Amino acid sequence: MKRRLILFLFILIASPAWSESIFPYKYQEAKLENGLKVILVPIDNAGLVSYTTVVNVGSRHEIEPGHTGFAHFFEHMMFRGTKKYPADKYSEILLEIGGDQNAFTGEDFTVYYVHFPRRFLEKVVDIESDRFMNLDYSLSAFQTEAKAVLGEYNKNFANPFFQLEEKLNEIAFEKSTYEHTAMGFLKDIQDMPNQFDYSRVFFTRFYRPENCIIIVSGKFNPEEALSLIKKYYSAWKPGDYRPEIPKEPEQTQERKAAIHYEGDTLPLLSIAYKAPAFHPASKEFAALSLLSDLAFGETSLLFQKLVLQEQKADFVSGEYIPHMDDYLFNIAARLKNIQDLSVAEQAIFETLEQMKQKPVEAKRLEDLKSNRKYSFLMSFDTSKSITNGFYRSMAPYLALIHGVAAVDQIFKTYDSITPGDIQNAAKQYFQKEKRIVVTLTGAKS
Amino acid sequence: MRRFILLILLITTPPLWAVGVIPDTQILLLKNESPLVAFRIAFLTGSANDPAGKEGVAALTASLLSDGGSQKNSYQEILQLLFPMAAGYSSQVDKEMTVFVGVVHKDHLNGYYELLRNAILTPGFKEDDFDRLKTDQLNYVAKTLRFNNDEELGKETLNWAIFKGHPYGRPNEGTTSAIQSLTLQDVKNFYQDQYTTKNLIIGVAGNYPPNLIQKLKQDFAKLPEGIADKESLPPAPKIEGVRVVIVEKKTPATAFSFGYPLSFTRSQEDYFPMMVMNSWLGQHRTLVGRLFNVMREQRGLNYGDYSYIEHFAFGGSFHQPPPNFSRHQQIFQVWIRPVPHAVRHFALRQAVREVQMLSEKGLTEGDLQGIRNYLLNYMVSLAQSNSELLGYALDDHFYKLPKSYFDLSKQNLESLDLNQVNAAIKKHLSTKNMVIAVVTENAEGFKKALIENAPSPIKYDSPKPEAILEEDKLIMNFPFKIQAENITIIPADKMFE
Repeated sequence: MKRRLILFLFILIASPAWSESIFPYKYQEAKLENGLKVILVPIDNAGLVSYTTVVNVGSRHEIEPGHTGFAHFFEHMMFRGTKKYPADKYSEILLEIGGDQNAFTGEDFTVYYVHFPRRFLEKVVDIESDRFMNLDYSLSAFQTEAKAVLGEYNKNFANPFFQLEEKLNEIAFEKSTYEHTAMGFLKDIQDMPNQFDYSRVFFTRFYRPENCIIIVSGKFNPEEALSLIKKYYSAWKPGDYRPEIPKEPEQTQERKAAIHYEGDTLPLLSIAYKAPAFHPASKEFAALSLLSDLAFGETSLLFQKLVLQEQKADFVSGEYIPHMDDYLFNIAARLKNIQDLSVAEQAIFETLEQMKQKPVEAKRLEDLKSNRKYSFLMSFDTSKSITNGFYRSMAPYLALIHGVAAVDQIFKTYDSITPGDIQNAAKQYFQKEKRIVVTLTGAKS
Repeated sequence: MRRFILLILLITTPPLWAVGVIPDTQILLLKNESPLVAFRIAFLTGSANDPAGKEGVAALTASLLSDGGSQKNSYQEILQLLFPMAAGYSSQVDKEMTVFVGVVHKDHLNGYYELLRNAILTPGFKEDDFDRLKTDQLNYVAKTLRFNNDEELGKETLNWAIFKGHPYGRPNEGTTSAIQSLTLQDVKNFYQDQYTTKNLIIGVAGNYPPNLIQKLKQDFAKLPEGIADKESLPPAPKIEGVRVVIVEKKTPATAFSFGYPLSFTRSQEDYFPMMVMNSWLGQHRTLVGRLFNVMREQRGLNYGDYSYIEHFAFGGSFHQPPPNFSRHQQIFQVWIRPVPHAVRHFALRQAVREVQMLSEKGLTEGDLQGIRNYLLNYMVSLAQSNSELLGYALDDHFYKLPKSYFDLSKQNLESLDLNQVNAAIKKHLSTKNMVIAVVTENAEGFKKALIENAPSPIKYDSPKPEAILEEDKLIMNFPFKIQAENITIIPADKMFE
């Protein structure tokens, strides 16, 4: 009876079971009764399996003052063991299976992965499910790991781009948790050793099955994988915590900041505008995303002018990374001389005005749509890159919220975008009062 | 004209373990069903071949080919043409290898190949490209390397200090003064001398059509043949005693790298026992290594601590070594990621003590079994894509391995016994003669501490097990006295001048 019940805990939600899609492999989606989602992507290779767990928690969810950086801190704590597999035992198993594993944290999600030979599938499902369900660490381990996190911050701080991003977010957002980077504010990182009790609260809030998705890719038997996931994760109890993420009030005035970098560096310029959240059906998102390449990519007129012809900058880029909530459309440039900061700033403003005034050439837009499709296809060439592709491009959002089928939806949305849509998006979002400008210059520049 | 010898590896997926190289092969083919066609076009030349006073010309030549125009198209046009394909090619220059790496979907193979071929065989050598890329290269050394990444600065300082006066002894991008003096004619001369069929190895993988190989043969045969015998590399400088180079700059934490030249590469027997040693001591960015466990996991000193017996490029970015940084002379290296200044002396003592203990005691049978299993299993994840497989095959060719690196490693690891491992450790692992590179502030204070060899206690915010506190006493008093004359302080903005 029990056995039969377990079988029904597992519900296939993909229709048809094996889907056809722009996604270059057949895949299967499933969901356990406790809410845990699973995506299975079998690929023929020499015997490697990539096992990824995406948790719907990032710095966005750090809503309480004094606790920024906790999602990232938790990524570290997840290697500190359970009663069944204490940290040294966990490491011992990784040693035994030759596992290549790591994790990282973004604003909206945290990702854990292990690459390993296929014969260890059950072992990996066992140790991974155990730490997600039963993490258990001592105060001492917690406080020691807090120091490692501080070490990571210190390592990053030498990089001027890190400082630029930190300042940009800090002045761009007042209420939104995007105000801090995934690392968190330095003062909160320094205080982490004192937050042991909070860490337990954080874990029980977010590390719940309905908040996670498992992606298995590579050489494995999907039926076996499903059965193992069911076996090891079914006892995981769903939670009921729903964070109230503060909404950012509308920005009504341009904001500016200047960073004085210790040491020498080329001057950096970041010009950002408030831009809408990701949704695969959002024409605004798709139009702005395409615009980022058209106006600021390597084939743009601005790149040709500033980088290739006048050689005032060594790079210019437009970046519009999908986020759960309204975020930033960010244009960055690195100049060769400090006096060219204002030249580049003006050139960027003029480019945005042109995007408002004049529709882009249809041929350029078509080339870009082709570029997007082939970029997507080429980014999924191994089981590891599926893991990578899933979290590096758009997939955490798709996987957690919309399912892999949303990949097709976003490409349909891209296909539907006209030069007029891009022009309209430019008019709507590139307004001076929605702008944030940050510069960084070195002490010796 | 030299005849091309083809090695065709007709392999369907899975290709792993199946890539091999035979001596004198110039075209490596890995045929499989992947719609992504990967190219690696390698020249056995690099920054070690920079003429005296022209340090950086190998890197500038390669970037002018990959990031500049061809005779047919401007760089701007090339970017436009590649754009719909979502494809590109890049160059990678190390001491003895220059590789052009690219991948394209087979739908765009013909157009892509033409651009790649033109870039390498008929470069434009245009003044405006030259000016742009030379400035970028200079800025990289003068700004980025000196100031924007303390860990890379530490590693480059270590390499520079170990190989001073040797062709390896500078960043691949060159020195600031040499880069400033480079002319377009220098680049053309380097191209003429080094981009030859004698130096060339071509790798192609994926579901490519047979006529592509004919085209490659015909096209690349147009390169000059090149001189028969290249100058051999001088031996690595002999390090005597412990030397410290402190690069001083304002920074929130102290970065360390230390090491010394090794007398073997992966083509020699001792590589495999030392591979076991290295994995045990400091396997890159995993939970496996001893240094990581005792320094980060137990004491929270920093973000990670690792060791190497082969050059690992971009270690801060990658978890696994990118291929085609093959070198005939390697160094043993320990990388201690930035530690708070207050514990810099303790951290250095601990890392050196760990290496010394390993050199004296060796590994146990249990250590060997554990690491052997780990490595045999771990290798399956080293090369997965066509491009990575080609990269490994090119490295096999460089080192003249009798079989693929993967096969050779498997064979050697399986047959290793503890005596071999500990004999190799005795022979190759030591802390007596080495260079320590430090990136920190208050350099004089650290110099004084090293000279005085005073105890370096550590304080924790949290309770620690008694065993750790006891060991800390040994670490803080670990005798590691450095002579004043062996310590050099250099301001960051004077490095690599």
